[in-house]
Amino acid sequence: MSETSPAVSVRHLTKVFKGTLVKGSFTAVKDVSFEVQSGEVYGLIGPNGSGKSTTMKAILGLLAPTKGETSIFGKSSTEVASRRDVGFLPENPYFYKHLTGLETLLFYGRLCGLGGQNLKDRAQDMLKLTGLESAADRRVGGFSKGMLQRLGLAQALIHDPRLLVLDEPTAGVDPAGSRKIRDLILEMKQRGLTVLVTSHLLEQMQEVCDRVGIMAHGKMVREGRLDDLTAVENQTEITLENASADLLAQIEQLVKASGGGAKLLSSGKPRTTLERLFLEATDEKS
Amino acid sequence: MTPATIQPSGIALKIARVWTLALATMTQLVRMKILFFLVLFCVLVVGAGFAFSVINPEQQLGLIKTVSLGALQIFSIVIGIVSTALLLPKDMEDRTLYTILSKPVPRFDYLVGKLLGVLMLIGGGLFIMDLVLSLVIYTRQGMVMQDALRALEFSGRATPETIAQYQAVVAKQGLTWDMHWAVFAIFLKASVVTTMALVLSCIASSTLFTIVVSFCAVIIGHGEHLLREFFFHPYLSANAERAASLGLAIVFPDLAQFDIVDGVVNGASVSWAAVLDMTGMAALYVVGYMSIAHLLFVEKEL
Repeated sequence: MSETSPAVSVRHLTKVFKGTLVKGSFTAVKDVSFEVQSGEVYGLIGPNGSGKSTTMKAILGLLAPTKGETSIFGKSSTEVASRRDVGFLPENPYFYKHLTGLETLLFYGRLCGLGGQNLKDRAQDMLKLTGLESAADRRVGGFSKGMLQRLGLAQALIHDPRLLVLDEPTAGVDPAGSRKIRDLILEMKQRGLTVLVTSHLLEQMQEVCDRVGIMAHGKMVREGRLDDLTAVENQTEITLENASADLLAQIEQLVKASGGGAKLLSSGKPRTTLERLFLEATDEKS
Repeated sequence: MTPATIQPSGIALKIARVWTLALATMTQLVRMKILFFLVLFCVLVVGAGFAFSVINPEQQLGLIKTVSLGALQIFSIVIGIVSTALLLPKDMEDRTLYTILSKPVPRFDYLVGKLLGVLMLIGGGLFIMDLVLSLVIYTRQGMVMQDALRALEFSGRATPETIAQYQAVVAKQGLTWDMHWAVFAIFLKASVVTTMALVLSCIASSTLFTIVVSFCAVIIGHGEHLLREFFFHPYLSANAERAASLGLAIVFPDLAQFDIVDGVVNGASVSWAAVLDMTGMAALYVVGYMSIAHLLFVEKEL
């Protein structure tokens, strides 16, 4: 069953939080449906309070849906067994400060049913993968935000899950750390893992996601393949390298002469992103 | 990369998981310097053991026991309530709870692990304190006996009968198995109070609420016989008061059942039947409160 089922299935999910006598009830998610297929990176985006985190918590079984259902690889999220195949990184994660990086991974590994030498090897692998080898014996209490985020990713991957759920994985992390996490997501994708991710950094989401769902006011307002959603249907982009001014003028003339309403809207040098510029500049200094 | 070899689901995995959570909880509490109480206790016991040398010998040994066992009761209850009230909200606040419960960890296992961690800390602490107390009483008992013999010889009354009589009195007030049973009863009482605090922690919105209500419950729990009297004797109170008494008596545990310290200090012996009775009652309370805690926690929106 789980082989043919989507990695994540959300059907008509509605979540209403009960209110108090003073405050009425609050509907966080209204009739949201979507699926994440095995092996793809799916981005759930939307402004604060749009219901992304509530949807994620329902998928992970941390919240019970008021209506509808969610499942992971065909198993209902209400079953503990559904979480065997999931690794979760919450937004701004904290871990037991008294444990070291390695001890933290051993702790989470044991909770997943790992043990003995296998667990020790897995923990070392995860530290290496996330670049935390040198921090293995340091107390988590002294970790920077970026290191905590990477440790969070390491604990999410310790039991070799098939689905990775990341809630704002780059929140509050500097661009270099953020790039590292993004590279890790891409690496996971190459390894065939399914990734469900939320982020406010739309540019990053554009780089890693195959499909996205846009949520607003608790509803799914747009959903589909990123290429389809971002393509401007009536425009075509051509990028040339080492083109002379003559060639550009010829192209402009050709467009004008072709008629049929075709127009050259802009031409000029493409801009790099501020993030790329920042990373190049800080790399040069080091 | 090393492939993950996951232990198949079953009772062994469940036990391993609960043990992992319990050890982490205990370590967390130890690092929070909760066991500072232990050092304080040792200082108190040693102080009590050697500070009141003017009192007569039997009374002196009794005083050490009264002060020490009383301190043990207070410390174990305080540690049980405060630790439990701190742990659950802290895990939620730090989102550690999310990372734990998003693993294949049933919520019941999480609760049992937390409770076991606190109880291991209290049990371990009581065990160490019992050892220190036993050592102090044993040492003091020897000194008291020597002083008594010297006094008898000085007054010329050191006959074998008198010495035997004195030895019997000192032995009764000194180190006995009953004193260990009293410490065990303190542990049982602390276990019941800790589990009750866990229930409150599942519904409370703040740590302070759990601590305050738990201490109120401890006070009520020590006066359950009064509540029962109100209920069973209609002439003592109005119907509304009787109903309130019944409600409180049902909700809160009867902690006076575990109060054997005074008897032990006065030299009473504790029978196996009494020990089994107390253990059974404590187990019933713990299982009952854990079931309620589970029902509340399983429905909790995280």
